[in-house]
Amino acid sequence: MGVRVSAGSYYSVASPIHALDPRVKLLIAIFFMVSCLFVDDIATLAVAGAFCIGAILAARVPLGRLLAQIRPVIAFLLLTSLLNLFFVHTGEVVVALGPLALHSGGIAAAAFYTMRFLLLLLMGSLLMLTTQAMALTDAAERLLSPLTRLGLPVGELCLVLSIALRFVPTLAREAQHIAVAQTARGAALEGKGALAYARACVPLVVPLFASALRHAEHLARAMDARCYTGGTGRTHYHALRLDIRHDGAAAALFATYLIMLAALKFIG
Amino acid sequence: MENEPIIELENVRFSYSDQPGDEALRGISLSIEAGTYTCVLGGNGSGKSTLVQIMNALVAPTEGSARIFGIDPVAEPERLIEIRRQAAMVFQHVDDQMVTSIVADDVAFGPENLGVPQREIVRRVDEALAAVDMAALAQADPADLSGGQRQRVAIAGALAMQPRVLLLDEPAAMLDAPGRAAIQRIAADLVARGITIVHVTHFMDDALRADRVIALDQGRVALDGTPGDVFSQRDAIRALGLELPFTIQLVERLSDAVPGLPVTADAEELAGALASRLATTTTVAATAETVPAAAGSSVARNGNDAVTFERATFSYADEHDPRRRPGLFARLRGRASRTAAPRGPLALANVSFALPRGSLTALIGRTGSGKSTTVELACALKVPNAGTVRVNGIDTTDLERRSAIRSSIGYVGQFPERQLFAATVFEDVAFGPRNLGLTEAEVEQRVLRALDAVGLPTAPDFIARSPFALSGGQQRNVAIAGVLAMETPLLVLDEPMAGLDPRGRARMKELIGSLKTNGSTILLVTHSMDDVAELADRVVALDHGAVAAIGTPRDLFLNNSDLLPGIPDALAFSRVLASQGAQLASEPLTLDELVEEVLHGRTR
Repeated sequence: MGVRVSAGSYYSVASPIHALDPRVKLLIAIFFMVSCLFVDDIATLAVAGAFCIGAILAARVPLGRLLAQIRPVIAFLLLTSLLNLFFVHTGEVVVALGPLALHSGGIAAAAFYTMRFLLLLLMGSLLMLTTQAMALTDAAERLLSPLTRLGLPVGELCLVLSIALRFVPTLAREAQHIAVAQTARGAALEGKGALAYARACVPLVVPLFASALRHAEHLARAMDARCYTGGTGRTHYHALRLDIRHDGAAAALFATYLIMLAALKFIG
Repeated sequence: MENEPIIELENVRFSYSDQPGDEALRGISLSIEAGTYTCVLGGNGSGKSTLVQIMNALVAPTEGSARIFGIDPVAEPERLIEIRRQAAMVFQHVDDQMVTSIVADDVAFGPENLGVPQREIVRRVDEALAAVDMAALAQADPADLSGGQRQRVAIAGALAMQPRVLLLDEPAAMLDAPGRAAIQRIAADLVARGITIVHVTHFMDDALRADRVIALDQGRVALDGTPGDVFSQRDAIRALGLELPFTIQLVERLSDAVPGLPVTADAEELAGALASRLATTTTVAATAETVPAAAGSSVARNGNDAVTFERATFSYADEHDPRRRPGLFARLRGRASRTAAPRGPLALANVSFALPRGSLTALIGRTGSGKSTTVELACALKVPNAGTVRVNGIDTTDLERRSAIRSSIGYVGQFPERQLFAATVFEDVAFGPRNLGLTEAEVEQRVLRALDAVGLPTAPDFIARSPFALSGGQQRNVAIAGVLAMETPLLVLDEPMAGLDPRGRARMKELIGSLKTNGSTILLVTHSMDDVAELADRVVALDHGAVAAIGTPRDLFLNNSDLLPGIPDALAFSRVLASQGAQLASEPLTLDELVEEVLHGRTR
């Protein structure tokens, strides 16, 4: 049972990207990811690729770390690009091999589909690598704070998210301890049919559930003791202040990218 | 100012339910003065935790009155926050009081809730982390810290609210000795800075450092006074299920032969008094010589080892699934990850030792030294990356004989009560024996035997109860019975005493002793050097994933104590005695040996 989960994948280093206000970073990353959906030819790919590579270089994150982040989805990407390659039948036939025929449209779809999602994933991973999970929830809380006027408990939701992140490693470790203990008492955890498997899970799931409840009870009391009374009247440890030079420069660069992309889409 | 009472309780009663017999507190009247350090003692269920929760208005008295900083929490519920801000609390469960995954952010949680301005929060977080010596780890993830470090972060979180009173509810119950010592140091610092502390504890050496000790019994104050006053009432202390501090136990044991020793908790003072009495009758210093190592080495070692580790190495980075043979893919990946930079630290490197059949081996070492990994390797729950681990001569990587290994080892992990799952005590204990494929009659026999062995009732109405409805100590015993019911010749116990009160610890010691006399081979992981001295035949000391020392307790404590996390109280006392000029003929490891040695020395 090699359950090892870490919340977030923050890579600590001083870089211009790390130093950005998390709100700016979050917004740029989200809009960049949306803009990737409009990448469908060489020119737009070049512009988006240049922006993404620029961001990666500025972030000073080792390429290996970045690639390790996206490795789990690469197989999925390859599969979908193969599907595109063989099943998109637009454009002229480039190669024909019996029933299989590669169309130029298929090749383009495969290439751009893959590249588009690769860029999207890279930017998402870069955001996670350069921003602590807490800073992200903090940024999200403040960006969404206008919604509190509509009665949405944004602060509470973000605290729940932060606590959930915090307890992922704890519960994973406990699940592992319980599995080890029950295995030592001869529990057979290998499946033999759905029903037997479900029954074999009881000795694992019940203690884990009990443990989650226990954590919840203790945590609630500890939060009470630390004067938590809900979102109103709380202040924030991290001052989020926009730095015109730094955050402004990043926003300006991103705006330039968007204008170029739009220009290419509408003119080209 | 010094003696101004800041917490006043008058005839406070509290009940978690409406049943009259079920009260946690039954009429407590006391006041806590500003600037004092008070320890609250009591067995499990004596109402200690409830009492401190009254003190910061987490619970309100059902009867009687409480005034905390002059505020009555029942009459003025709108001022609860005012109370909690000034009376901050740190709980026993290190994992369950942190809300974020960054240390500094967590410390900031309290001030954030109080609406403290941002600049001020930054200042307070820095100050609070510095006060508990955790400033260097401000950006760490609490999940990566040791229990002791996390508890220090929790204390910083309390301090960041700038409280006048700090309420500590068994903060060190789950910590190892260095973690506990750090909490003691911090508490002393804070008292010196003028913070009032109320500290609930199971450890008598905490109580000795306090100005005042309050012992609770069934929701009432049983004893109240200075540590000296309280601990001099020895029979009362024992009746409460508490344990006397080491020095006072010693005075008591010597009282017939050496009357008139001061009843003190101060080892130096007692040693001084004892040394002057010994010096008049003995001149043993010259004959001082260590007794040759006896016990463990007499155990036969000719292939009669229950478990052997041969240069076992284990790393979390390329761990194998113990249930599977490494497939081609895994082997390729293994090779790839070896060529890449190693990710995790090596959990164990080249560990070699053996557990002689019928012996009790203590496995000791600081947090993170590899004890738990060693245990999991010994139980075939993990397999080594290199080297071999054999159980009864069977290599743990031998999958065909895995079940033979499993049925010969019983494993009691840390906090075994957390693995309870069944609807009744009987069903839970029967889980293991049923997995062995025994007949129902055999299963029942084993369940009853196991429950009896751990000192639980075997009456039908008890075994039909839900294990979740039992007290903490009983839950642990049910879980241990669940392992004993496997009736394995080999038992691995991972810190079975952690978190128990003195009475529970004494019972557990008894149980381990009786398992040993019944011929079980035992591997005991423990933090307590006194338990090692009392129970173990052999000691394996780990440090940073390698074996630092192996030998009998006597051999290691006397000759290699610098490689161990600590020494037993008796040995420490005899060294103080020696420094005062009374060298004992042979150095004692346990209280019994110390008493014997002192009496022997006198009659010589």
